[in-house]
Amino acid sequence: MSDAFIAGADMIAFGRYPDRTYFELGAEAALLALDDAGLSILDVGAVYASSCFNAQSMLGQKILKLVGQTGVPCINVSNACASGATAVREATMAVRSGMVDVALAVGAEKNPRGMLGGAPAFGPPVEGLFGSESMPAVFAEAGMVHANAYGTTLEQFAQVAVKNHYHATMNPKAVYRKETPMEEVLASEMIAWPLTKLMCSANVDGAAAVIIVSEKKARELGMSRMVRIRGSVLTSDPYESRNPEMFDASSVTRLAAAQAYEMAGLGPEDLDLVELHDCFATAEILHYENLRLCGEGEAGRLIDSGATALGGRIPVNVSGGLLSKGHPIGATGVANIVEIVEHLRGEAGARQVAGAKIGLAHVLGFGAAAGVHILEKA
Amino acid sequence: MQLGMFIDLAQGYSEANEILAGRVPMAADTVTLAKPGHKAIRIAADGSAFIEGFRCDACGAAFPEATMACRACASRAVPHPFRAAETGKLFTWSVVSRSYPGIAVPFVSAIVDLDDGLSLKGTLRDVAPDQVKAGMPVRLVMDNAGGATDKDGAPYVGFHFTPMGDA
Repeated sequence: MSDAFIAGADMIAFGRYPDRTYFELGAEAALLALDDAGLSILDVGAVYASSCFNAQSMLGQKILKLVGQTGVPCINVSNACASGATAVREATMAVRSGMVDVALAVGAEKNPRGMLGGAPAFGPPVEGLFGSESMPAVFAEAGMVHANAYGTTLEQFAQVAVKNHYHATMNPKAVYRKETPMEEVLASEMIAWPLTKLMCSANVDGAAAVIIVSEKKARELGMSRMVRIRGSVLTSDPYESRNPEMFDASSVTRLAAAQAYEMAGLGPEDLDLVELHDCFATAEILHYENLRLCGEGEAGRLIDSGATALGGRIPVNVSGGLLSKGHPIGATGVANIVEIVEHLRGEAGARQVAGAKIGLAHVLGFGAAAGVHILEKA
Repeated sequence: MQLGMFIDLAQGYSEANEILAGRVPMAADTVTLAKPGHKAIRIAADGSAFIEGFRCDACGAAFPEATMACRACASRAVPHPFRAAETGKLFTWSVVSRSYPGIAVPFVSAIVDLDDGLSLKGTLRDVAPDQVKAGMPVRLVMDNAGGATDKDGAPYVGFHFTPMGDA
């Protein structure tokens, strides 16, 4: 298998687009990424298009109808919040296998409004009668497992939101670009203990795209802005005794991280920055340990130390993360990779992680799926 | 952590402790069968309700629903049904203060490990939020699913958890 490289990467600003369709958003991101790579849709051999809610509508084909119907295969994927990483991973495999020299991975979403969560399969409404199926409650319960085991405090969870909202002030494509001090995070509406509203991800529309090329194509285009894909992994949830009664955010992520580090021949100590799936502040704390950025039980101390803030030892979610950049479900897993690429190229502006050479992007889909990509400046 | 900001959840749940019989007379010549309001609830011929789990003979793993092979070890010996224990321990929880429109809040969403290895999500009632602690012993209580009925008026059977002993 040959190496695969990211030659183009871009995203639209995340926010609400009431007057545009999700495939218009996706087409715009695809054109931005093609322009970034210096390529045309005529160069693309396969399209991997992700949307949690609209993959079944032939998203990739709808995008090609806006930018050029070249007749190439379109693979439309839905994999919850890991949809975007799934598209990137499949595009990577298409290139690495030699099937195509250029693949487009594009994620596009218009999120439904209101709180996301499950619907009852049968019988009376589940909510309140049999606990809660809302996403905030699910991730609150997961966070409380950590709090119960290690004494993680409300303030430590809240600090994730303080940090990521601060990071977003430096990202012009983030939906919320306003600092939220600790007092403001704690004073915002309590949703599901220990999660206040400002500790929940921003429900928005958005699109992002990457152009993945073979080594041969990368050398043709020039290596100066190329990013090498060192690890590209997708997992489903392995058996865990309480899952799925209790959503297990950790084992599926740990499995993906272990495989990605092995594929890359790298470890967490080699990383310069991480974009991880902070759908809720509690999740970021869990993923510090799941991705082995610190030891078991040390995540509370890691956030306290400032190590995961810009300028720290291992900056996490300098884009602002899902909490403040926004979380258009099917685009998120592509956007996380776009962010890493910008840092590895030294093009991230005010939020640039100085000297970044290697970065990791992680997403977690409820149900469950985890995607981990490890990228290196070529 | 401080949970004192929440009101006493026990308030308003007194009716929920009524255990519903499986058969509710609707008229002299008809009966309406109560229906399970949750995938793991079974209603016996005598009207009593219980939780049914499924256990793998090969590895011992327990699940709250039937599977075609073992979810844990992939053994093709089909996991067999068993009547679940009615006591267990609280594994994790959240006090839910905002839910979907029309859902009464706050309530405690809980993950309980029953004593025989089955884990369930359910609402923990009759406890003040600041008294909720991981590991506390709890009891499974069958109930009337908040009085919910189907389109034909048949009642549902539900369950919730309550603290046991000194907790």
